[in-house]
Amino acid sequence: MIMANQIIWKSNSLISFRKFSNAEICSFHRSLHHLHLPPLFYYLPSYHLSSSPSGFLKAPPVLTRDWAWSQQRPNHCRGLFRCLKYSSTSICASSSNSSCSSSKDLGKGYLELTDEELMRQCEMGTFKASGPGGQHRNKRESAVRLKHLPTGIIAQAVEDRSQHKNRASALSRLRTLIALKVRNDVDVDSYSPPRVLLQILPPKSSIRGSDCGSQIGPNNPKFALGMQALLDLIFAVQGSISEAAKFLGLSTGALSRLILSDDSLRMAVNELRASKDMKPLK
Amino acid sequence: MKLSFSSAYFASNFPVFLKSSVVTSLYRPVSSSSQSCLPTCLKPQVPLFLKPPIYSTALSDLKSWHDWAKSLATSIGSTFVESDNGPDSSLLCRELKWLMEDAVEDQSVLTQMGNVNNQTVIMRADVEELYSLWKQRIEDRRPFQYLVGCEHWKDLVLSVQDGVLIPRPETEHIIDLVADVLSKNEGLRQGVWADLGTGSGAIAIAIGRMLGKCGRVIATDFSPVAVAVAAYNVQRYCLQDVVQLKQGSWFEPLKNVEGKLAGLVSNPPYIPSKDITGLQAEVGRHEPRVALDGGINGMDDLFHLCNGAASMLKPGGFFAFETNGEQQCKHLVDYLENHTSGSFCGLKIEPDFAGIQRFVTGFRQ
Repeated sequence: MIMANQIIWKSNSLISFRKFSNAEICSFHRSLHHLHLPPLFYYLPSYHLSSSPSGFLKAPPVLTRDWAWSQQRPNHCRGLFRCLKYSSTSICASSSNSSCSSSKDLGKGYLELTDEELMRQCEMGTFKASGPGGQHRNKRESAVRLKHLPTGIIAQAVEDRSQHKNRASALSRLRTLIALKVRNDVDVDSYSPPRVLLQILPPKSSIRGSDCGSQIGPNNPKFALGMQALLDLIFAVQGSISEAAKFLGLSTGALSRLILSDDSLRMAVNELRASKDMKPLK
Repeated sequence: MKLSFSSAYFASNFPVFLKSSVVTSLYRPVSSSSQSCLPTCLKPQVPLFLKPPIYSTALSDLKSWHDWAKSLATSIGSTFVESDNGPDSSLLCRELKWLMEDAVEDQSVLTQMGNVNNQTVIMRADVEELYSLWKQRIEDRRPFQYLVGCEHWKDLVLSVQDGVLIPRPETEHIIDLVADVLSKNEGLRQGVWADLGTGSGAIAIAIGRMLGKCGRVIATDFSPVAVAVAAYNVQRYCLQDVVQLKQGSWFEPLKNVEGKLAGLVSNPPYIPSKDITGLQAEVGRHEPRVALDGGINGMDDLFHLCNGAASMLKPGGFFAFETNGEQQCKHLVDYLENHTSGSFCGLKIEPDFAGIQRFVTGFRQ
């Protein structure tokens, strides 16, 4: 319900994204403090992980279309598609009680859900085709857009031929975006890295036991969980790579290399560092 | 329109196309059993992505083709959109990428298009053919699915070719409707289902996979090409024991199951004749008119199906038909309520993913 105010929807053409005003951030944080979202939290289309200087993000062309939305139904009963107007207030209000309530490690929780469970927290948008459709039409507009209702995070996929595959790609992007955007509290004084984080560290880490198996890379679906834990730590130490490296038994250089190995991870870290007037990692 | 013969194609008689990757078997006649072989023994075409990777091309040649194809696609801009709501250049560029995916054996090459060296690429079609295919796409507006010989539909990849309607994403929803009914009435899972005018076999195959071992689907089509292609697809998904193909007009090949069907589904031609000329070129110029044109108001075949449904379905049997939209849906429900002597109950109109009232469903009393 809070998120709703943060996303500007324009139903007919362009969907734009903006940074929040300070007042908004305050009310936002008061209400959703348990989510521990970064201060300048704003939504990025999955394609566009870089921000433009003005703070506005130009939506890629595929976004400039009408979407027909439908909430994923628990038993995959998709028989009752309903087209929602872009009244995000009602969308979020309907979901807020289900997921936003309890757990402290909520953000982590999302990534631990199975695909099906995560999908149930999403509303799925498909292209709202113009014209009569059906036999009249031959256009493979199989783009899928998932809106994760508890957080408002949006992920989309257009590049595949079938809606089926695009849905799977959008879901895996959603996991990455959740990892990048949803922060969990880290108590630095009693910190010990979770296993999911150890698994993405290079073998030379002094605290990484041999029982962690081989290093999980960015292409592995499990990488998102480790990446989220890593970002939690880096946020907890205010963006200092050398501080974070100490907790992970790595040299500063080795941790930098890990961060630079994944574009979205690098950008998330650099965004934090920029907000603290620190130099970007290169 | 009615055929004087109606012969059955049992997919189980077909050569196993995929298991043996022997190319020559792909060109064997559709049916190897002589009793069901029509005078025109049809050879379904092999989709590009299943063709053997026997061509080798210099990466630089592939890149030149790609650059040419891309600039051709880009030059279209929104010309096709404006003329008949056809594809714009961004969609064409996406299609180009898919064409590459199907034509090139080693996908990793596609990421190296930037730094061309002396590398060779293993392909399923030679570059000359790619030039010709892309020219057909842009100049003739030949549907992309006919170029590559397949369509991705639900989680299936179905072979299609000229003469066979390309399955539409809207139609996927029929499968959801059937799944819904099956989940509430397990008994229907054991029965015989029919998909009339099956085309590529899309609906029949998807339902066949849901029914599993206990059920059976009879798929009919008037067009021998469609029957051949559908049989090929059934074979690809190893459903020859579940999906049986019969050639003939609508209910004609189903006489022996009269009053016994557990379910009846169809995406019949429903476009009004007068609208055919204004169709998007990919559809109007290339797809079979017989699969699109539903007569003066587009409802000739839908009415025929409704009349047949009354006698073909067993009590409690389910039907789902795709229509042109809201008007046809309402018309059909009115007809089913008032002119079929109370044969049906539970009539419903269901929208497609774009919110257009698309399907009429119901049960035999």
